[in-house]
Amino acid sequence: MLFSSLIFLYLFIPALLLVYFLMPKKGRNLVLLLFSLFFYAWGEPKYLANILISITVGYASGLIIGKLEKKPVRLIATVISSVVILGFLAYFKYADFAISLWNGALGAEVPFLRLALPIGISFYTFQILSYVIDVYRGNTEVQKNPIDFGAYVVLFPQLIAGPIVRYVDVVAELKERKCTLELAFSGAQRFIIGLGKKIIFANQLGVLVDSYTNTAEPTVLFAWLAALAYMLQIYLDFSGYSDMAIGLGRIFGFKFPENFNHPYLSVTLTEFWRRWHMSLGSWFRDYVYIPLGGNRVKTGRWLLNIVIVWAATGLWHGAGWNFILWGLFFGALLIVEKLWCHKFFERNRWVGHIYVLVAVLLSFVLFRFNSLEEAVADFKIMFGASGAAFTGTETMYVLRSSLGLLLLSMLACTPISVKIVNVWQNSRFSPILAWLKPLALAAILLLCTAFLVDGSFNPFLYFRF
Amino acid sequence: MKAKITTLVLLFAMVLLGGIGMLLGNTEVSKSERRPMTQWNDLSGSSISTGQFMQTAEDAAMDQFPLRDMFRSIKASFLYNILGQKDNNGVYIHNGNAGRLDYPLDETSVKNAINKINAIQKTYLTGNATKVYYCVIPDKNYYMATELGYPTLDYDKMMDTLAQNLNMENISIFHLLDESCYYRTDPHWDQSKILPVAEYLTQEMGQTFSLKGATLQDGGTLTGAYLGQSAMPLEPDALQYWAGGTLASWKARDLTNMRPIQVYDFQGLAGDDPYDFFLGGANPLQVIENPNASTNRELVIFRDSFGSSIAPLFSGTYRKVTLVDTRYVHSSRLANYVRFTNQDVLFLYSALILNESSALQ
Repeated sequence: MLFSSLIFLYLFIPALLLVYFLMPKKGRNLVLLLFSLFFYAWGEPKYLANILISITVGYASGLIIGKLEKKPVRLIATVISSVVILGFLAYFKYADFAISLWNGALGAEVPFLRLALPIGISFYTFQILSYVIDVYRGNTEVQKNPIDFGAYVVLFPQLIAGPIVRYVDVVAELKERKCTLELAFSGAQRFIIGLGKKIIFANQLGVLVDSYTNTAEPTVLFAWLAALAYMLQIYLDFSGYSDMAIGLGRIFGFKFPENFNHPYLSVTLTEFWRRWHMSLGSWFRDYVYIPLGGNRVKTGRWLLNIVIVWAATGLWHGAGWNFILWGLFFGALLIVEKLWCHKFFERNRWVGHIYVLVAVLLSFVLFRFNSLEEAVADFKIMFGASGAAFTGTETMYVLRSSLGLLLLSMLACTPISVKIVNVWQNSRFSPILAWLKPLALAAILLLCTAFLVDGSFNPFLYFRF
Repeated sequence: MKAKITTLVLLFAMVLLGGIGMLLGNTEVSKSERRPMTQWNDLSGSSISTGQFMQTAEDAAMDQFPLRDMFRSIKASFLYNILGQKDNNGVYIHNGNAGRLDYPLDETSVKNAINKINAIQKTYLTGNATKVYYCVIPDKNYYMATELGYPTLDYDKMMDTLAQNLNMENISIFHLLDESCYYRTDPHWDQSKILPVAEYLTQEMGQTFSLKGATLQDGGTLTGAYLGQSAMPLEPDALQYWAGGTLASWKARDLTNMRPIQVYDFQGLAGDDPYDFFLGGANPLQVIENPNASTNRELVIFRDSFGSSIAPLFSGTYRKVTLVDTRYVHSSRLANYVRFTNQDVLFLYSALILNESSALQ
């Protein structure tokens, strides 16, 4: 099930709200667990068993590690658990990539498994892993209640596309949480704004990108237009989804971590990765980079640590050389920044800003395609090396037709609207704003409904991870 | 706090009412979209494990949502007026005239159409004194989209390919039409505006055009296919048709069952596709016979839906006009219904059908 579906908005949510708030507090985690499993099964009925097994392995691992006293034994148990947990992810996501490497290296003809990727497997795997590692480290107590643990893993707001919520962040709220009108309002507001970002902007940008993918007349300008549209789409899609997840969490009394902080305002890539998909960045920092030694090692080892983390980040996003290259691209630029350019960009903010936008735009070209070959072919078009014309009739039509969308989408990537609302809130017109807000939220919901009614299947970009 | 409570109550009420309305919806057919709607009773428990149940439910939710047409209009208005987009689901509007973007040229499809036409010519039209012609009806985009600078089919390439591969005379009518010759709310041409086309085609086929005494009649309004597809408030078209005079004595038949049909079908006008007014809509084999025609000559038209509205105009000249639509009858079976001898034969297809010719049999 997706947030941006009529079934979710008009059947699932009202049913859940009614059952949840009528249920005594003791039973509310069970309600969340059952509704979340239903949510997951709706999108992936045949992989329901998979997530239940992952939950069981995570839960059992926590119990076992928690009972062991000697550190080396705890470490072995943690490693074994991590291998099993990651094994599911490796099997479903990377098996065919591994087969292609094997076949390529040895000239073999091992057939591909062609497994469908269980929705959200990269997200919930990392969540379970964070729990197991934190139990090992002693950062959290073992969760003995399988319902509470299950609810944590499959909690539907962040199940299929994050943010990656660590167990330590929500353990207190699993036990005891407040649901207030204030939280419900701010949660609903956050959810609807995220819904608008996804449906009104991201989906329409996706149509533009698709028109380029399907064109018989690729041109240089069209390729750049599609690259820009994709860069905006992926942010509005993903951050919109995170807004929805955080908003829904808030309604039920959970405080999920923020995942985006206007990343396109950054002046260095270092800053960009502190503002983009923050839950993933911090996960890799705490569970891979710092255990490897971080930057508290010799320079050579430090650079290697960066390369490992960024190769792994790329691989997390997809099983293909283009994704690994995407990760290494950022790793290389981050190294260059840290060693030589960081202060220059901070002093010359406009130069830094343009550098970040261009680097990110080009990186997402690698990201967008299913293979390195397709990405290279697109780069050739973008840089005029394929013989494609600079522009054409279809290109100019798409540009003219999507100018308004592109401009509004760019504005939506900035905090301008928030700043306007804040200024208004602190002015003498704030009583009017108090009543305009409900109308605005209702209007956004109606407009999103209009798009959904007229639309068709519209998957989030990030749930394929 | 009061405003916040009001917000939550308002949002919850919207969601609850929308959900109830959606579940209670049982619309079978959408008049505006001209298609059957997915219904809740299409759901089958046996399809749960495959995931098909969920997809059907999602489709039913979209199709049965209350005030669906209103919501579609809201979306269209937002796209056109706020985002400044030029089309909604491929439908664009210019000066109250709706068109549908159709590009690029599918050369494989054009060649497929050529092969089908050549096969018919070889099987039925060689050595039996038939005179064979072809004519491409430009779609509305040729005039509207070209003027606006929107992408269109490569008509020049299409015509060149046809000329190089068809062994029959081409009659070009591109110069006789413009945007105003088509219904504003439908892709088809307006019968009241295509008299010059019928006249020109008749003359190029070596006959003298006659429509003696026929006059333009008012048939009410025609709400074309684009009205629903665009989801925008467009003015329906005025329907006018040629009748009377030399046409008064015509009779039309469905050749598959020999039953009489109406040349102008008012029941069709009130149906899901008002363009069915002309000869009752899609049909594989029909004939219009007019004992008062100015000649005894016969015309066979291999056609698509555009042929339905122009065929009556030939009945003043040709004693017998046979219409063949090979999208609904295989060309190998034509000998069962049509005797090809000493006729004028016209392959009259729109550019749209030539670009999507897979249905031609």
